[in-house]
Parts: sequence; structure tokens; C-alpha cells
Amino acid sequence: MTTSTWIKIIIAAAIGTVLGLVYGWVIDPIEYTDITPNILREDYRADYVLMAAEAYQSEQDPETAARRLAILGSEAPAQIVTSTLAYAEKNKFTESEIILLKGLLTAMQTYQPQGVAAP
Amino acid sequence: MKILHLLLALLIGLGLGLAYSWYISPVTYVDASPAILRSDFKDQFRDVIAASYVSTHDLARARARLSLLGDADVIAELSAQAQRMVAAGESFERIQPLARLAADLQQGFVSSPATSTEFAVISTPFAADTPIVASPTAAPDVTETQSTAETVVPTLATATTSTVTPTTSFAQTALIPLASSTFAPRPTFTPIPPPSAPFTLASQESICEPGSQAGLMQFILMDQRRIQLAGIEIVITSNQGEDHSFTGFKPELGNGYADFVMQAETVYSVRVVDGGILIPDIIAPICTDPNNGKYTGGVLLVFQQK
Repeated sequence: MTTSTWIKIIIAAAIGTVLGLVYGWVIDPIEYTDITPNILREDYRADYVLMAAEAYQSEQDPETAARRLAILGSEAPAQIVTSTLAYAEKNKFTESEIILLKGLLTAMQTYQPQGVAAP
Repeated sequence: MKILHLLLALLIGLGLGLAYSWYISPVTYVDASPAILRSDFKDQFRDVIAASYVSTHDLARARARLSLLGDADVIAELSAQAQRMVAAGESFERIQPLARLAADLQQGFVSSPATSTEFAVISTPFAADTPIVASPTAAPDVTETQSTAETVVPTLATATTSTVTPTTSFAQTALIPLASSTFAPRPTFTPIPPPSAPFTLASQESICEPGSQAGLMQFILMDQRRIQLAGIEIVITSNQGEDHSFTGFKPELGNGYADFVMQAETVYSVRVVDGGILIPDIIAPICTDPNNGKYTGGVLLVFQQK
């Protein structure tokens, strides 16, 4: 085969690759159905933490609150609430919601999981 | 021949592209919605929504949050989850919020006072034809917003509090349907009996219906105004041990409905945990069908608060 033929073959292969990538990434990407909460969109995460704070207000059970927050990832519960509090202040949550989040943050900062001795 | 080579190269390229985009470097989700959560995480989500609802009594917000999970029937999902938790031996305290939220969604209004009656919570329904439009910088929008379009968020007016301790508690009348285009009447408040009012047996009857579940003991619990009550625990004892049943897990049969399947020829005693007296000697009746065939019937017990 001549050089020009090889060039045409390479161009055809490149076009095929681009088409394959467009199809696989844009037209029919892999769909996830059983995801874990750590990749939830930030506003959904924030609302989940707010729900945990609302529940904590009446339950006053830091262990349950920490368990609920744990599904959001490997960060410490206090860190998760801190991030949410920053998001809440940036996005103009109501004052009562901020207070609830601060209450949960305080609880998580002082919370010691069972079996872990306080320093 | 040349065209064949080109076509082959194109197909090989296409295959490589697909392999790369589907297996080697697939699309990564970073901003997922709760609707595609794994089922156990959805359960956890519902659990937190219900626990939050017990604290806030914001039914519209709870409904909006549940809608994020993409369930076809949110009430059925809540009830099913509550029943799974009962089967798994979870504590009543953990199950009750789910049952209560399911019951309140079913009836369309908050079923009990906000808290331990230090203050009355008044949720004022707003007219559906004057929606509140969320600003882009507003606090978290629990509706699905994939685009930048304005989102109409149903909300309730802020709860008002009073420092004066009331001498009675109040129940709220039904919220207006969200889809309504008419103005809803202003809410009225009606006193409800204290939660600790004792239950008494209002009626007890044998149920003989061929084809119904054998030995089904059915309960209906109502308050003084004959409104069915969800989340009430009933203890059923026999020589085989003790069982617990809760109202509200089958809202399609009534918020105050609960049931239990009796064994034939076993004597049961029933007691409503909230101040109820013991009802002894309950046994599944033996019924006779039109062909003189014998079958095990059921029992219906109706309790009402004094």
C-alpha cells in the first residue's frame, strides 16, 4: 500500500475513534443507578445535613446524628457539618437553619464515638 | 479494496473509542441526585426526612424532599420501609417517624401539635396561585433543578412562636392541595385530647368472611373525635410470647389501623400501650360457610380514647 493509503486509513481510524468517544461519553454514556451519597450534588448534601440537624434538634442524640452524617463520606462528621455551614452561609440559608447547623456542629465537635476514650 | 480498508479502520477506531469511553474512562458522576441512590441509602434518606419532619412538622417540605427520591408512591415506600424495619426488629422510636409521616401525607395535614406544647405552631397555607419564586441565591432548593430556570418552591409560612404557655394543644386542619388554583380557607384550630388519654375498648366483633385471611386480628384506634391515630403501639400476648403491632403502617386501610395474625385455638390478650387496659381472652372464632364448612375467622377491635 502506498503512503497516501496508510494516511487515509489512519484518518478513518481517527474519525472512528472520535465517533466512538462522542457516542460513549455524550450520546449514550454509562448510567449509574446505585450510587453512594458521597457524590450527591452539593445542595442535596447540604439539605441532607440540614435534615440531620433538624432531627438532632428534637432527638438530641449525637450518635444517631453522626451515623446519619457518616453516609456522606469518609470525612469526620464535624468536617461535613463545617462544610455545609459554609455552604449555608454562602447561599443565604435562613437564620434558624444556620442556628440548627451550628447546634449540630457543636455536638459533632464534642462527640466521641463509643469505645473511643476522650483525650 | 481501498474502501474496505478505510471502513475497517473506521470500525476499529469506533471500537477503540467506545472501549475507552465506556470502560477505561467512563463518564464520572459528581453531581448526582438522590433519585439514583442505592436502595439502602434511599432508606436512610427517608429515615432522616421523617426524623426531620417530626422536628419541623413541615409537611410540604417533607413531601418535596421525598419527591427527590423519585419514588412512584412515596406513601407506599414509607409504609414498606416501616414494615421492613418492624420485620428487622428495629425499635419503635425509629419506626414511628416513618409511620407518622406516611399517615400525615395520606391525610394531608400535620396530625399532632408541634412539640411538647410550649408553643403553638401555625402553618399558614399560601394560595397556590401566588407561588414563591426562589432566587438563585436562596437556601437549598429541594426540587430538581438541572437547569438554570427559575424554580417554584412550595413552602409554608414561617412558624410563629409565643412565649405564653397555652393551656391546651391544637391540631391543624388540612393544608390546601398544592395543585389547587383556588384560595384555601384559613386554618382553624381544634383542641385535641392529651396524648396520654387512655384507650378503652369501644367494640369487639368476630369477622366471618370466607376468603379473608384466617385469624386476622384487626385494630382501629381513634381519638375522642373518632379520628384515627397513627403510631400507637399495641401489645399482643399469648402463651407463645409477646408481639407488638403499630397503627399507621397501612395508611391505605386507615391511619389508625393495625393487624396481627392469630394462631387457631390460641388465647390472646391485647393492651394498647398508651394507657389502655388489658383486653383478655381473645380467640380466633370458628366460622361456618354456606356449605357447612368450618374456617377460622377474624376479630375486629375498636379502641377509642376517653
